[in-house]
Amino acid sequence: MSLMASHNPSAIPGARFMDPVVLARIGNLSLVARAVVDGFINGLHKAPYFGASVDFAEHRGYVPGDDVRRVDWRLWARTDRYYVKEYEAESNMNFSVLLDVSKSMDYGSIGITKLDYARMLTACLTNLVHHQRDRVGFVAFDSEVVEHVPPSAKHMETVLHVLDRLKAGRPGSLRAPLHKLAEHFGRRGVLVVISDFYEDPETVVDAVTPLRFRGNDLIVFHVLDPAELNFGFSNASAFEDLESGEQMPVVPEAMRKEYQSLVRAHIDALQQRFSEVRVDYTLLDTSQPLDHALFRFLTSREKRMRLR
Amino acid sequence: MSFLTPLFFVALAGLAIPVLIHLIQREKKQVVRFPSLMFVQRIPYRSVRRRRIHNWLLLMVRMAALALIVAAFARPFLERDEVTAAAGEGAREVVVLLDRSYSLGYADRWERARAAAYDAINGLGGGDRGSVVLFDSGAEIALRSAAAGERQPLTAAVAAAGGPTAAATRYAPALKVAGSILAESPLPRREVILISDFQRAGWRGEEGAQLPAGTTVTPVPITTGGEVANAAVTGVSFARSTFSSQERVAVTAVVVNRGTRPLAGGQLALEIGGRAIQTERLEVDANSSTSITFAPVTLTAEPMRGTVRAGADALAADNVFHFVLTPAQPVRVLVLDRAGGGGNALYLMRALAIGEAPRFEAIVRPPAAVSDDDLRRVSAVLVNDVEVPAALGRRLQKFVEGGGGLFVVLGPRATWSAEVDVLPASLQAPVDRTRGDAARVGALEYTHPVFEPFRSPRSGDFAAARIYGYRAVTPTQDAQVLARFDGGAPALLERRIGTGRVLLWTSTLDLAWSDFPLKPVYLPFVHRAMRHLAAYSEPAPWLTVGQVLEASFGSGRAQPASGVVLTPSGRRVGVGVDEEGAEVLELAEQGFYELRNRAGDAVTAVVASNVDTAESDLTPMDPKEIVAAATRDDGGRAAASAAPPTPEAQERSQRLWWYLLCVGILLLAADTLISNRLSEA
Repeated sequence: MSLMASHNPSAIPGARFMDPVVLARIGNLSLVARAVVDGFINGLHKAPYFGASVDFAEHRGYVPGDDVRRVDWRLWARTDRYYVKEYEAESNMNFSVLLDVSKSMDYGSIGITKLDYARMLTACLTNLVHHQRDRVGFVAFDSEVVEHVPPSAKHMETVLHVLDRLKAGRPGSLRAPLHKLAEHFGRRGVLVVISDFYEDPETVVDAVTPLRFRGNDLIVFHVLDPAELNFGFSNASAFEDLESGEQMPVVPEAMRKEYQSLVRAHIDALQQRFSEVRVDYTLLDTSQPLDHALFRFLTSREKRMRLR
Repeated sequence: MSFLTPLFFVALAGLAIPVLIHLIQREKKQVVRFPSLMFVQRIPYRSVRRRRIHNWLLLMVRMAALALIVAAFARPFLERDEVTAAAGEGAREVVVLLDRSYSLGYADRWERARAAAYDAINGLGGGDRGSVVLFDSGAEIALRSAAAGERQPLTAAVAAAGGPTAAATRYAPALKVAGSILAESPLPRREVILISDFQRAGWRGEEGAQLPAGTTVTPVPITTGGEVANAAVTGVSFARSTFSSQERVAVTAVVVNRGTRPLAGGQLALEIGGRAIQTERLEVDANSSTSITFAPVTLTAEPMRGTVRAGADALAADNVFHFVLTPAQPVRVLVLDRAGGGGNALYLMRALAIGEAPRFEAIVRPPAAVSDDDLRRVSAVLVNDVEVPAALGRRLQKFVEGGGGLFVVLGPRATWSAEVDVLPASLQAPVDRTRGDAARVGALEYTHPVFEPFRSPRSGDFAAARIYGYRAVTPTQDAQVLARFDGGAPALLERRIGTGRVLLWTSTLDLAWSDFPLKPVYLPFVHRAMRHLAAYSEPAPWLTVGQVLEASFGSGRAQPASGVVLTPSGRRVGVGVDEEGAEVLELAEQGFYELRNRAGDAVTAVVASNVDTAESDLTPMDPKEIVAAATRDDGGRAAASAAPPTPEAQERSQRLWWYLLCVGILLLAADTLISNRLSEA
């Protein structure tokens, strides 16, 4: 019914914010991405402007090593000097999603794991970008790079295929794989990092910011399960860390408030530090519909594009 | 409490099961997998740890149930004593026995003993009752069964105890007094707190001191650690001599060093009349004794107060020894013999002249020459086979009635007037035993003072004397036959008249009718007979604290009892009257007691009083010995325990397991209820 509603946007306005659990049942990422993105685009009054631009920006003096083809010959003819034309953006930009597939992502208290949610999000974003004729790529990492699909206009299907067979299995670490990837993304583009960021805010920012050094636009999605946010457990139990396997006895009601404040402080710190380094940060709750997340993301992107 | 099958307690290891269920099983069952414990670990651990045990009540109930069931299988039973003790919970009747013998004067023992008594009183509970008994050789109840709620009378009784007395320690009287107090007590628990220095000398075995069953005895030893230094003068002896018609006495003192170090450089002083007249050097090895003889002292007619003093040490009371020196008092005897050279009192006179202690002063008078003055001066009259006229007989009767002694020796000439009723027998014809076997003296009354020294074997053989003749006599009703001849005829008879005595020897005391004077028993027999008749007793130069002082002490025969006694501490006390009507005073102080006449202006006698030197031996004993003897089960109880209990009684004492099992099962039921509630919640 949700799927039907997504094809008929006039029926129930809220129905296009589809339940991620329902989407997870669809199973086919391609179909999911199309359903969400189509519904999303149809419902949006203003078309998205996703980074692709051919507008002239400025002239710059030629320096040896610049492509001779980019020299403005007309200007040379007038001024007898070599200038190179600079544009606002590449017309076909690279778009890559960096997905954390560490063991902690394999957790879900409401029928969908964070990894599934992130997978659908990746599929949606990839589908959206592919519609813009941009190149899509994909990287999965835990403590090292697990999967790598280089950005290409033809890699949409490959990305979806890789996403489909992803499994979380090992403990994760942000710094090593992201620093390695930062050197890899030589061409400017848009990079999306999706993770649960179970590390110190300083460590997280330190691991992520090198991705911006080559001029990439960096977008960070922080995916958390409602249980991780609210800590709504009732019985005293032994809690086992998914990554380290360590156990400890926990009485949830006795420590819920402290836990919530610690998580809140962690999120606030991430938000603060990312805004300081001009990285878009969005917290995603897996109980929230996917296009709701997309909407929030794209509107914030649009605002930033306007600011430029 | 004991157990029939204590091996079942191994099952107590099962108590670990509920703990394991709570601590291990529950946690393993509910493991929550969580992405990261990064934040959980930052929360202080205490809030987690103290809730490890999920439900304390449940755990306790389970463990209690298991423990009770295991205990039930171990079959507990109460022993008889424990049953009694368990029934005896409640208020206590406490008797504080405080030793105040003079050995407590050693160093600071008395202060410590009193402090211990105060502690014991302060330890009494609200419902308890307490008594204070002060004891030395006797026991005095200072306060009987006072409620412990008001401690003031009890502490006041201890405070009023003053200090150590001069008496020795005896535990038995104190324990008997405590036993009587406890026996009258209605309170369920009885306790005796015995505060003493526990001298070995104070306990002479069991002595019948038995406390009521179930009484607890708590000994509080007041002893001094380390070396004990104590010298004591344990006694004096006198060597009398006569020098130029004056009697002199050489005093020899015995000094015992009971310490573990030799006593050197000390001085032993002899004081007469309160003044030191001689001083001798005193050196005694450790744990040994020495005797020191002073130069002779010339005696006066009046009693002289003597004291031997041996320096000073931690226990001063036994360093002093008092005595009274009195001139030897002779026994004056009037011998009635025939006038002229016909007398036959040669052997008698020789026998009387030999006496030393006592000395006999014999004067010989014919019956006609006896004066009243003679009778006043002597304490005994010996009538040696003479005719006694009626007038003399009456005077002699009066003399005897006034306390004098009369020894009548019969023979062929002895006649007495029938008017005078003084003899223990009526005289009859002589019996001639010169033909055939001579008569022998047998069947002696050895319990009589006259024959008492001959009681033991080989102490004199009266049968060796051959008696060739004696007077047949018929004893009067109030006469006692002390010796008989082998034919059964009385040989020696005694009769009491008034306060005096009359002895009648039915044969002669010379060689006329017998060879008795030639036999070894003759001399002691005559001496014993005269001492007995003269009621002679050696004056004791000293008495010991605790002994009874008779009012007639030292005043000689027939002296009227004095009314006032001046104690060494200067108190004037009246003399009490004992059950027999004699006036007595128990010596309680060390020093000289003066007996005065009723007006109190003349000293009639002086008595030296010394401490019991056995008390100066400070060797302690094990208090357990007294405790064991005093609290031993009595015979009835022992007999009861010896008899095997009936099966019903045995079952009753072992029924405890049944209750334990019931409670255990009830707890298990409660455990089920609680678990259900919890699981529903």
